[in-house]
Amino acid sequence: MGQLKQGSGDTQDRRYLEVFRQVTRMISMVRDPQQVMENIVHNLPELMEIDACTIRLLDQATGTFVLGAAAGLSPEYLARPDVDARETMDMVASGQPVATIDVAESAHLPFREAALREGVQSVLTLPIAFQDRVIGIMRLLTRSKRAFTEQEISFSLVLAEQAGIAISNGGMLKQLERQVNFLGEVQVISRLLGSTLDLDVVLQTIVERLSAGMRAQGCTIRLLTPQTNRLELVASVGLSREYLQRGEVVDEKNTIRALQGEPVAISNVLEDDRVIYKNHMEREGIKSLLAVPIKAKDEVIGIIRILAREHRSFSRAEINFSMAVAEVGGAAIANARTYRKITLLFNHIEEQEVFLANILDCISHQLLVIDRNRRVAMANRAFLQIRGKKESEVLGMDYGRLHHSENCWDYGHLDQVLSTGQMATVVREVVEEDGPHWYERTATPMINEAGETEFVIEIIRDLTAQRRLEQESIERSKLEGIIEMAGAVAHEISSPLFAALGSAQLLEVDRHGQGLEEIGMIIRNLKAISKLTAKMAEMTGYSSRAYVGGRRIVSL
Amino acid sequence: MAEILVLDDVLDAAVLIEKILAKKGHKVHTFTEEEEALAFAGSAAVELAVLDIKLQKMSGVQVLARLKEIHPEMHAIMLTGFPTVETAREAISLGADEYCVKPIDRQELEDKVERALKGKNRKGALNI
Repeated sequence: MGQLKQGSGDTQDRRYLEVFRQVTRMISMVRDPQQVMENIVHNLPELMEIDACTIRLLDQATGTFVLGAAAGLSPEYLARPDVDARETMDMVASGQPVATIDVAESAHLPFREAALREGVQSVLTLPIAFQDRVIGIMRLLTRSKRAFTEQEISFSLVLAEQAGIAISNGGMLKQLERQVNFLGEVQVISRLLGSTLDLDVVLQTIVERLSAGMRAQGCTIRLLTPQTNRLELVASVGLSREYLQRGEVVDEKNTIRALQGEPVAISNVLEDDRVIYKNHMEREGIKSLLAVPIKAKDEVIGIIRILAREHRSFSRAEINFSMAVAEVGGAAIANARTYRKITLLFNHIEEQEVFLANILDCISHQLLVIDRNRRVAMANRAFLQIRGKKESEVLGMDYGRLHHSENCWDYGHLDQVLSTGQMATVVREVVEEDGPHWYERTATPMINEAGETEFVIEIIRDLTAQRRLEQESIERSKLEGIIEMAGAVAHEISSPLFAALGSAQLLEVDRHGQGLEEIGMIIRNLKAISKLTAKMAEMTGYSSRAYVGGRRIVSL
Repeated sequence: MAEILVLDDVLDAAVLIEKILAKKGHKVHTFTEEEEALAFAGSAAVELAVLDIKLQKMSGVQVLARLKEIHPEMHAIMLTGFPTVETAREAISLGADEYCVKPIDRQELEDKVERALKGKNRKGALNI
């Protein structure tokens, strides 16, 4: 293959014009930058009468030129690590074309060997510029040694620039489309996250929607645990258990950076020192990752990692989309966490309330809580059961109306507590169907922070059984006293009585005639007294009978 | 005729018993103090003791126990103005022949003494 077809000036110009027209037409047919590149590398060799063509785009993250499209070359050649000699690449990166007439004379051994194996002999490397910025390189390769004329180089530069415009415009259009799509997806995710306060649903929605939106293999969310400041895996999608359990990621540089609030895009995880678990990622088939911080109220609360199976140079639109989802997610996570806390708190309060109610219901005394307006705020089970009322009937009822049937009560003690803030106790006797009952009412103030009585707790104790027991005890003591007294009297009288009766009987035996009738009377009466003392000695209970002047005496 | 010891903290009661039993031909020794009665029993024969349950320092039951140690074959009649099951059971268990409630009738006392001395009384009988 020789140089571009040479001819007269007009012929050459027309030839270039034709090539230019065809290239322009070709790249104007498609909008996808990849398609633009494919069209160029496949059509240019014929138009330019060369053997092969490649286009590489600059990866802003790594500063390297990544293969975009190629034609006429083997995969082995294209997979070589270095594109060309460092000097060549630097010159092209600075916007200058570099022509290598004979690669056999190239000082860069790896490239020279690879090129010779491929049969490449001459290479023209051209910068692809857009708006004075190199965005890639285009290489025209021939398998026969040839020199590139100034005209060819100038024309090729124009073509490369034209390709740059097309690639950039296509890229921008594609970015715009993706941004619109991302915007729509952010709206959908926002709506989904706004529709739930369930933390687990929130987390799972984020990983699933973000992974799908980014066309990634998997996605994880790790949240910082406030107590330990450690990252805890809380949600994932598309990843194996073995990979997820590989270990702590908090020490990875990409994690550290993300926790500082910055997104981290890594196009090749296996060769990046910001990644620790390279083997795990290789086994999982992960080639690139994007880590973004999750923020809530300007504070990083965790990270999201999006993992891809291919080497990806994450675009600004993709990073922005991920950041936007992380931000929306952060707010939703914070809300769900708050809701969960409130729910837990509420449940705790409810449990405490039930516990307290159970305690109060276990109290056998009647218990009431009355507010400052003298309305019932609470009543325990004992009160409701004794009164035969339902809680709903009693709550809110006026304290006076609650006791209106007990007209013997005065409610001064309640007023006293409300006005003085001091505890008050009253005991009153109430006559009921089965006799008198005694009730003790103790009103205790509940003082608020302002020192005012906010509620009054009233405990009503039925003292009837206690009072009756006390009365029985008094009666029993009285009986014991009487029996003891009777016994004492019987004992003390018995001996003198015995002496008197016996003496009278002796007299009766000795005496004849005079005084015998009187002695008989003495003996009869002493025997009557003996019977009474015998009764007193045998007393175990007593009944009383009326005596003179309203007094009562014991019946013997 | 029998040697009879009478112990009652009420002197008139003791004298009355002495008079009643002396008429029946018995030799009666009356006491109002427990120690004096026990001292006497330690130095003289006693066939029958008539003891009041309620004394000044000791109980009649305690005195009976002491007398039984001195004269195991001695008969005894217990007198009380305030009978209780406990004292009655204790007295009988210590060998008392009779447990009588004061004031006891003259004739009844004579009969009980007679029965006790003849040993015809039923041991352990209560006469409350």
